[in-house]
Amino acid sequence: MATNRVQQWATFARTWWIYDAKWQCPRQSAPVLIKYLQGKHKPIYHPNSDIGDHVVVINTKHIAMEGEYWRTWKFSHHTGYPGGFSQTRAYDAHDADPTMVMKKFVYSSMKGTLFRRLCMQRLHLFPEEELPEDILRNVSSQIQQVMPVPKRLDEFSAEERKAFPQLFEWPKDYIMETGQKKSTEES
Amino acid sequence: MPSRVTPSSYLRNVLQNGVGRYVCQLQRVTLSFCKSTNPSRGARDFIENHLLEFTRNNPGVVIYLDPKRHHSPKLCVEYLNGRTETMSIDRYPAEDICQWLDHFRTRSGVQINRLRKNWHTDTPSIQGTWTPATNRPTSWNVTEFPCQEISRRLPDKETATERILSAAKALREGSPTNAAIGKETEL
Repeated sequence: MATNRVQQWATFARTWWIYDAKWQCPRQSAPVLIKYLQGKHKPIYHPNSDIGDHVVVINTKHIAMEGEYWRTWKFSHHTGYPGGFSQTRAYDAHDADPTMVMKKFVYSSMKGTLFRRLCMQRLHLFPEEELPEDILRNVSSQIQQVMPVPKRLDEFSAEERKAFPQLFEWPKDYIMETGQKKSTEES
Repeated sequence: MPSRVTPSSYLRNVLQNGVGRYVCQLQRVTLSFCKSTNPSRGARDFIENHLLEFTRNNPGVVIYLDPKRHHSPKLCVEYLNGRTETMSIDRYPAEDICQWLDHFRTRSGVQINRLRKNWHTDTPSIQGTWTPATNRPTSWNVTEFPCQEISRRLPDKETATERILSAAKALREGSPTNAAIGKETEL
């Protein structure tokens, strides 16, 4: 009888997962994270039982949004009073709180059931890589990132850059296009 | 839990010996309706055409008719065990009211509950119950989190940079057979 009781504790124990959000898209990361928050990765999952795990997300300040979404994605809010509607662009929200964009995407990708607030309480967001000691001590598993992180040019060594094959030579009188928009002050 | 959910309970035994003669548990029916408005039309139709037949067949059931001006029609039934149930028959045709009244007449008056069952098996799993440690890589027991190797997602296909580097390597070694990009640069 006593072993049954301990078996129950072992089966329903909550695991702490860590997720590195560096250069990861929050829109694609959210459905991966909510799977762990709601406990859908467990074979004992049932929608009426609260068996989700804890997820610690680090580097939320260094997330990457697709395309023009930093500028075009807006978070809406209504205070409830007349004229209380406001919209914030993603980069503004990210400036105000580096964990806010990730939190909003995870919250909105979950269904609005009574368990959503409980799941959000088990999501721990940190803007940088540093974690409090008491949280890091709990972490025992890691979630794989959703997209590969490319290597930046300054991360290659000088030898590697020198050894990279030159495919063609630029003409002497070629004017390089930087790809940036021309400033309106000139015109 | 929201109050609209059907209440749940475990199956219980009736604490009486044997089964006695049949006693109709429905004692009293109050049909409130409006004499003029349209939602009560089916109720008025029922009173004109079907009510007397019902009273003739069920002499043990008292029926009160309660005209209320401009109210939606309601059916209020009282049982021998003291419970009362109210049901709106707004815009119901007379045939539906007949069927619902028959449903209330044949019921025992006990509240309808969702039955709950304890999980039990006579043949427990030989593998053992699932725990979070089941099917988890054992190398994670000695890994320090966050771990770059577990977190990183590798690109699905060969990247363009890797293709150029491999083509250049093949060119330098003098076997440009598999270097498609190398051929173009030669021309």
